[in-house]
Amino acid sequence: MANTTRNSVATLFGISALACLAAGRAQAQRQLVMYCGVDEKWCRAIATTYQKETGVQVDMTRMSAGEVYARVRAEKDNPHGDVWFGGTGDPHLQAAEEKITEAYQSPMLPKLRDWAQRQAERAHNRTVGLYLGALGFGYNTEEVKRRRLAQPACWADLIKPEFKDEVQMADPNSSGTAWTMLATMVQLMGEDKGFEYLKALHKNINEYTKAGAAPALAAGQGETIVGIAFQHDVIDVAEHNKPVAVVSPCEGTGYEIGSLSLIAGAKHMDEAKKFYDWALTQEAQKIAATTGSFQIPSNPLTPVPPEAPDLSKIKLIEYDFAKYGSSETRKRLLGKWTDEVKNAPK
Amino acid sequence: MRHGAPAVEFRSVSKRYGAVTAVDSVSLTIERGTLVTLLGPSGCGKTTILRLIAGLEQASEGHILIDDRNVTMLSAAERDVSMVFQSYALFPHMTVLENVCYGLRASGMRKSHAIDLAQAKLAMVGLGGYGARLPSELSGGQQQRVAVARAIVLEPKVLLFDEPLSNLDAKLRRQVREDIRELQHRLALTAVYVTHDQQEALAISDRIVVMSMARIAQDGTPRALYERPDNHFVANFIGDANILPVVVESRQGELASVRLSSVVLTLPHHNVADGPADLSIRPQALVLSRERGQLTGHVARAAYLGSHMEYWISLDVIGNQLFAIASDVTAPFAVGDSIWVTFAPSGLALLPQGRSD
Amino acid sequence: MDGRGKERAEIASALPRFLLGWLAVGFAGLVLLPWYGLDEGVSPPALLAGRPWLLPLIPPLLLALSCSFGRTKPRVLVAAGVAGLVWLAAQAFLIIHRGWAFVWITTLLGPGPSQPALGWGAIAYAVACLMLLAYGLARLGVCKGDVFVVGALLLVVGLIALFVFYPVLCILASAVRDNDGSFAPTLFFEKLLSRSVWGLDCVFGGRSCGVAWNTVAEAALVGVLTTFLGLAFALVALRTRMPMKPLLRALSVLPIITPPFVIGLALILLFGRAGMVTVWVANLFDLPRSRWIYGMPGITIAQVLAFTPISLLVLLGVLQGVAPSLEEASQTLRASRWYTFRTVTWPLIRPGLANSFLIGFIESMADFANPLVIGGNFNVLSTDIFFAVVGASHDQGRAAVLAIVLLSFTLAAFVAQRFWLGHRSYATVAGKGHIGIPAQLPGFVRATCYAVIVPCLILIVAVYCTILVGGFVVSIGRDNTPTLQYFWTAFSIEKGVGGWFLSGSAWNSFLVTIEVALVAMPFTAALGLLTAWLLDRQQFAFRRSFEFLAMMSFAIPGTIIGVAYVLAFNVPPVSLTGTGTIIAIAFAFRNMPVGIRAGLANLSQIDRSLDEASLTLGSNSFGTLRRVILPMLRPAVITAMVYSFVRAMTAVSAVIFLVTGRYNLATTYIVGRADVGDYGVAIVYSAVLVVFMMLVLLLIQLAVGERRIGRRVEVPRIESPGTALVQT
Repeated sequence: MANTTRNSVATLFGISALACLAAGRAQAQRQLVMYCGVDEKWCRAIATTYQKETGVQVDMTRMSAGEVYARVRAEKDNPHGDVWFGGTGDPHLQAAEEKITEAYQSPMLPKLRDWAQRQAERAHNRTVGLYLGALGFGYNTEEVKRRRLAQPACWADLIKPEFKDEVQMADPNSSGTAWTMLATMVQLMGEDKGFEYLKALHKNINEYTKAGAAPALAAGQGETIVGIAFQHDVIDVAEHNKPVAVVSPCEGTGYEIGSLSLIAGAKHMDEAKKFYDWALTQEAQKIAATTGSFQIPSNPLTPVPPEAPDLSKIKLIEYDFAKYGSSETRKRLLGKWTDEVKNAPK
Repeated sequence: MRHGAPAVEFRSVSKRYGAVTAVDSVSLTIERGTLVTLLGPSGCGKTTILRLIAGLEQASEGHILIDDRNVTMLSAAERDVSMVFQSYALFPHMTVLENVCYGLRASGMRKSHAIDLAQAKLAMVGLGGYGARLPSELSGGQQQRVAVARAIVLEPKVLLFDEPLSNLDAKLRRQVREDIRELQHRLALTAVYVTHDQQEALAISDRIVVMSMARIAQDGTPRALYERPDNHFVANFIGDANILPVVVESRQGELASVRLSSVVLTLPHHNVADGPADLSIRPQALVLSRERGQLTGHVARAAYLGSHMEYWISLDVIGNQLFAIASDVTAPFAVGDSIWVTFAPSGLALLPQGRSD
Repeated sequence: MDGRGKERAEIASALPRFLLGWLAVGFAGLVLLPWYGLDEGVSPPALLAGRPWLLPLIPPLLLALSCSFGRTKPRVLVAAGVAGLVWLAAQAFLIIHRGWAFVWITTLLGPGPSQPALGWGAIAYAVACLMLLAYGLARLGVCKGDVFVVGALLLVVGLIALFVFYPVLCILASAVRDNDGSFAPTLFFEKLLSRSVWGLDCVFGGRSCGVAWNTVAEAALVGVLTTFLGLAFALVALRTRMPMKPLLRALSVLPIITPPFVIGLALILLFGRAGMVTVWVANLFDLPRSRWIYGMPGITIAQVLAFTPISLLVLLGVLQGVAPSLEEASQTLRASRWYTFRTVTWPLIRPGLANSFLIGFIESMADFANPLVIGGNFNVLSTDIFFAVVGASHDQGRAAVLAIVLLSFTLAAFVAQRFWLGHRSYATVAGKGHIGIPAQLPGFVRATCYAVIVPCLILIVAVYCTILVGGFVVSIGRDNTPTLQYFWTAFSIEKGVGGWFLSGSAWNSFLVTIEVALVAMPFTAALGLLTAWLLDRQQFAFRRSFEFLAMMSFAIPGTIIGVAYVLAFNVPPVSLTGTGTIIAIAFAFRNMPVGIRAGLANLSQIDRSLDEASLTLGSNSFGTLRRVILPMLRPAVITAMVYSFVRAMTAVSAVIFLVTGRYNLATTYIVGRADVGDYGVAIVYSAVLVVFMMLVLLLIQLAVGERRIGRRVEVPRIESPGTALVQT
């Protein structure tokens, strides 16, 4: 029985030791928790550069925009993250709508391109535009040549019978990219026509992927001939010596505004704000291109990389972010799409 | 502590497993310095009683006292008893010495002191030089002695034996039996011994508790049980017995006159009432001869066993076959021989009528 | 009485020291340790926190203290322990960080006080109360009056309740809430009965079926196929002269060291549109390249390859349990081989086949990573749950509803396996003395077996070659130039200003994974073995229910655990998300059944009278466990540790919601890479993981093997590594 006394004392010590350990771990050197929604390489470059320049320890998690949103939402009562870097703008807007992100007016805001500022206005300064990425598609040049197909140039080309089972896009239920595509079609053609187009396209779709960038890669690898994705994703694949060409559809196309938000109730709010300001500088924004991400940066002073799609040659539609970012519209259209398009027979 | 209080006392103890009653309201005392055997067929509850004393089972009802202290709710480790197991239960990963030291170390004794005591006890059981061996390197008999040494080194208030000889061969069994008895006398230990072997029980015990169907069938000295069984079960279980129906005609003092067919016998009546009763007859109590005796019969079967003969006798007046043992092997009866049967005065016991088991 | 007896008597009179020790822990929890927060470590102790509702936590301890002197009163201790625990839980769940936990209290009483999540002080207090309760119960005669047993039992039950039941309850609760957290039962039924779950359109309408049917169909198919293949392997191994032992050994190890998605990944590289085999066949026959692998075919092949070894282990055991003498008896009764097989062998192994089917069924349902990687448009519940949470529709309620559907499927299979099959195994009926030579297989059965396993083996070899090679070429199949590019991206080491540092993108997750797996390892083993010991060696009320609960986490798919942990442990009173601790806890409770099984298998070989001997020699049950059982349980300890470690390294689904930047794990990193099509790094990383774990297993086998030679011969041999995974 002497054992048990010893044991309980040992337990006491154990608990205290663990407590001290935990306290020691948390004993903060300046740090910042970043949820990052862009390409992994870009995320890491941002984190390490900032860490190198400021000495703040950046704790970065890469997730898709949807995952970040889910995480921030789940953690809203006890946030672990401080800043949400990048990823398509809709979840940022939705988070702003739910007030789970923090309103903040960066001194950098007036210096940004106007689409970036408009993004901030829509969200009552709870988010800001970080980059712009236009929707488009890529096609595998080798396959097109081998089958002697005409090079697709418009959305309308994709519903031609020769592309049967050769078009890939992401599932808008899981991917922000594909949601942008769905919203684009509805805005470009009107809801009825848009859905007719999507139904026609459905016959040519071989797979609705989970991730938004996957179709671009699949096109590059020849898994499919056409992959619908953001143009910068296609370019990134092409940069890796894959036979893929990027297309900016002739009818015009929608776009995303990759955004930056502060998480409401962040534990390191001061650090987060400093990071926020820094992320909007040209020094920070030029990192993107060096890691193979060719979006259009929101700071006009940032040199636009030569590989980036030329904005002047892209017909951008008037994308109504307020309407198509709201959860009502989203839920209705996604339900309709799932029911009428995705589950429809081929 | 009450002087002269029994070492172990059961007060109406029951043990139930669900619907099965393993021990049914048993009351029992075990005096200090005696060796008491629990005897009975398998499933009669004898091992359960042993485990109740050890604290390996908890009584469903009643109280268990060891040395006048109520231990009913105490765990095995808190009771001052130790046990020799049927399988010996030597810890295979410890040496013989470590095994014997185990209990001493568990109760917090200094290592050097514990080793001294353990060495002494090992020497006592004749295994002085074996301390460094592993149990698997010993013979069965040696392992058994280690188990005994491990138990007695704690000088427990009660030492429990759970069929300790059943894994030994017949010759060794007799030897070890005597060793245990000798050790128990020398150390004046209180011991409780479980077995289903009636011979072993008769040989080793101060007292035998015969168990049947979760109850005590009879409790007494070996001689009392053998010569004066209280019921059919005990008569049958301890030694062989022929049971014949008789009539008690009259009683006078301790004796009764009993009629069996044409024969009238005078026997101690053991409080059996007048009227129909049963008579238990040991096989040796049947004297067979070609000369005139008490009842006639003939030999139905005969077997030669070296030291003696075994016969099955069909009586002419009563339908029963009787089992008899005769020491004369030089001129045995043959099957079919007509013979006379005479009842010897010892080896007969009157039982109440009817089967009690 | 001699000195030793006196010594004992003193110890006996000092029994309440146990109580005093735990009371000290309890008071320390109240006045010394920070009451709130596990990570912050700055909060004041409870009594200095200025929160009056914490004061009622004192009386139970004082009550217990008062009866620790003189005669202990067990009922008072029980009452004190229960009161402390109940009040601790009640105040923690009623008053949370944003005031009252329930809206109706707020409307009733107005806005209430708030408090953060519980910390070390609360943990110490809770454990102390649990031990007071245990002591009281033991003194009332529970578990033969053994304090240690009661304490251990309460602790294990408490932990299971907190880390298995509470999270699952949270899922159930969130299923009847809408996205804003208000109660919406109609929405629940709407979601539960929705066509996307139960629709049968694939039968009637040419559209895709509900996800529930998809999942059941897939799982049933995989269950049948794995059983069939496993049987073929087992028959060939045991009933033919083909030298299969080393091969089987390798096979049984594979599923353990292979992260679950790796096979799916390899299949894409082999049979995808641009896969090696596809391209080769297309060029050879000028066929159009098809995408057939994506969807049900791909998932089926991947899962069959992944789970057949488990089925093989089950069936090997079953087949070995069929006494050869039975078959010999049949043959001496003039039965032909085929007749013997059909009338004796087959009926005897039938329950084993059902068991194997159910295991395959559960594993397939719980599998998350293969459908994610290779599922295409074929939806199953585990991935749908994931996308309901992280997808664009962000519907946690739907995730919860789907989780309930999935959970009820797996639990039904689990219950069937335990209760329906539990008593139908003939294999154990056979006692000893069955010697003889197993019957050889009838000719065409043997031919069928070979026909089945040879292609399967080729496929397995191809898959593993692809994994090991695929990461070291530019683009396997398309451009087979060797390159170290992916390897360097993941595992480069650079020399910087401050010396060498690990600059590869995979290092962080790789090292963190090892760290977390190492932390989880001893806990898993300890918890599993303690539970096994309680189950095998102790009698107590509700023992069977306890066993069922302890083993149940086997049947809870990882995705559900992940979602449930996020729901349960993100907010006070127990806030753990974002820490490495929660990942380690998730591992410990998910892998606990492995430890239990390893422990049970080993304990059944240890004679019970050894424990009893130790108890009657005056060692308490803790001492017995430590000095008698544990040394003999060493093989089980090692098995449990190794599998806990390896399974932690390969787990995906349970942790995909729990990983953070600091605690990112290898598997989730790989899935992330594969998800965006970055196959090079994904494969190279998978290969590194597989090789790493192979090395770990080899090293441990070597270490254990040598010790076995150094010690006695009779130490039980280490089981084939996979057996611990298998339900028996």
